[in-house]
Amino acid sequence: MRKCFIFTLAAIFAMTLIGSVALADETMDRINKTGKIRVGLREGSIPFAFIDPKVGKHVGFSVDMTDLLVEKLSQHFGKKIEIQPFTVTPKTRIPMVANATVDVEMGSTTYTQKREEVVDFSYIFFFSETTFLVPKDSDIKTIKDLNGKRLGGARGTTNLKAIEDQVAAGKYKPKDIVVVETHPEGFLALKGGKVDAYSTDRSLLEGLRMKAPHPENWKTVDFAIAYEPYGYMCREGNSDIRDFINNTIVWSIKTGKFFEMYDKWMGPKGVVPIPMSKTYRDYLTLICYPQAPDWWKKK
Amino acid sequence: MTEEGISPLPYLFWEIMLGLAYEFDWGVLWRNPYGMYLLQGIWVTIKLGLIGWAIALSLGVLIGTMRISPWRWLRFLGTAYVELFRNIPFMVQLFFWYYAGPMLFGASLQKSINSIIGLNYYVAIIALGMYTASRVAEHTRAGFSSISRDHYQAALSTGLTHPQMYRYVIIPYALRIIIPPLTTEFLTIFKNSSIAMTIGVLETTFMSYKIDSETFHGLESTTGACLIYLALGLAVVRLMGMLESRLKIPGMIGR
Repeated sequence: MRKCFIFTLAAIFAMTLIGSVALADETMDRINKTGKIRVGLREGSIPFAFIDPKVGKHVGFSVDMTDLLVEKLSQHFGKKIEIQPFTVTPKTRIPMVANATVDVEMGSTTYTQKREEVVDFSYIFFFSETTFLVPKDSDIKTIKDLNGKRLGGARGTTNLKAIEDQVAAGKYKPKDIVVVETHPEGFLALKGGKVDAYSTDRSLLEGLRMKAPHPENWKTVDFAIAYEPYGYMCREGNSDIRDFINNTIVWSIKTGKFFEMYDKWMGPKGVVPIPMSKTYRDYLTLICYPQAPDWWKKK
Repeated sequence: MTEEGISPLPYLFWEIMLGLAYEFDWGVLWRNPYGMYLLQGIWVTIKLGLIGWAIALSLGVLIGTMRISPWRWLRFLGTAYVELFRNIPFMVQLFFWYYAGPMLFGASLQKSINSIIGLNYYVAIIALGMYTASRVAEHTRAGFSSISRDHYQAALSTGLTHPQMYRYVIIPYALRIIIPPLTTEFLTIFKNSSIAMTIGVLETTFMSYKIDSETFHGLESTTGACLIYLALGLAVVRLMGMLESRLKIPGMIGR
């Protein structure tokens, strides 16, 4: 009996040891060993991560967040960590994170349960709204006004799916749903009068509008029909790097850096002005868990 | 922004390369509501193909005849049409008719054209018909050229006028000769109709991609679409084969 007890104790002790070894996560090890972090960045996700044609480099809100993350990682490991940028697209971003081509993806990826099965997501840092772009003098003011209108959406997007689901549920009855292939085509359809309102994320619609010859002729409506939360991605089961990203996000909110970055990219003078809603601001305040002032120091 | 499902195959490629579990679920081909999606898609594909073919055949034979007519300006018109339509990729033509086409009609008419419900569907039919017509015209011309000069002269010497000669002698001959290449064009129109997806026509390919984006079962839905096109194609081949044997003139062509 006693022998058995000692044996069990020894076994538990051994398991704890193994457990602590397994805890050191591969991504963090790799960053420490190589002194580099491989970051997946988008080329056209304005204003989160896109190529600035003037400098030929990735810029954007999520790229600034990457800089913060790397700053903290450098302090954590006590040496300079370099960013090794990789270009990802909506189609390759999940496989590239899952097969460890990149360590983290810092872009504008919607957090879904389906994706959570293959990769790990950080805290949600942004909410995109599915809404509509309409002509300046449009009479679409509330969801009810969508009745009898022709709505447009791009094939395969969650935005189009949201409209179809809501129409199937009887929330509103549009006259027609016109499907296009890309967002610029959708805007073209709106300009030509093929649709009365074109739908996708508010940030993308504002981006489209700003690129138009006369941005003042178009506007996004005040209401939204669905929300999409954005998160950063890292490899499944690598909780240390995910904690580190979360810590960076929370720290940036607490120190106000988050809001500076938001203002830089999405403020009134930013690339794509998206006013920060009260709900979003409240969310950011609420997720701030207590943090040691020097959380990035190696224990 | 989520864009999964815009193109199922690269995604699938990665899925298989990564060894992520891919479990086949052929039920997406008939389960509610996906089975209904596919049926609707098939119906639209058939309508696109048949109406487009009706336009292509009538217009194509007309233009092919124009290209060998003795009047110069008619020949010029026919050649211009053929060269214009067969040298521009079909997808570009489709985009042109859908997005730029209505602008040709002036501001007020443009507005009413753009407000037509199902405009993309009508545009797809017309574009398919006009594109295929240019190819049918070429086959028709080839058919005319293969008829020896004596036939023309013999027809004219019996006192037929030029139009009568074409109507009663040359075209019935030529059409029989070109049935095999026409079969190919008839098949192609069904296959080309899948490009109508790019302007949002809810045909078979569109529906199979839609099923993929909703279920992540792209392999099954794409296979389903393949089988549908294959079945349509085989039906057309069979139909045209029957037509060919029924119309053949003993001793003229055919062995």
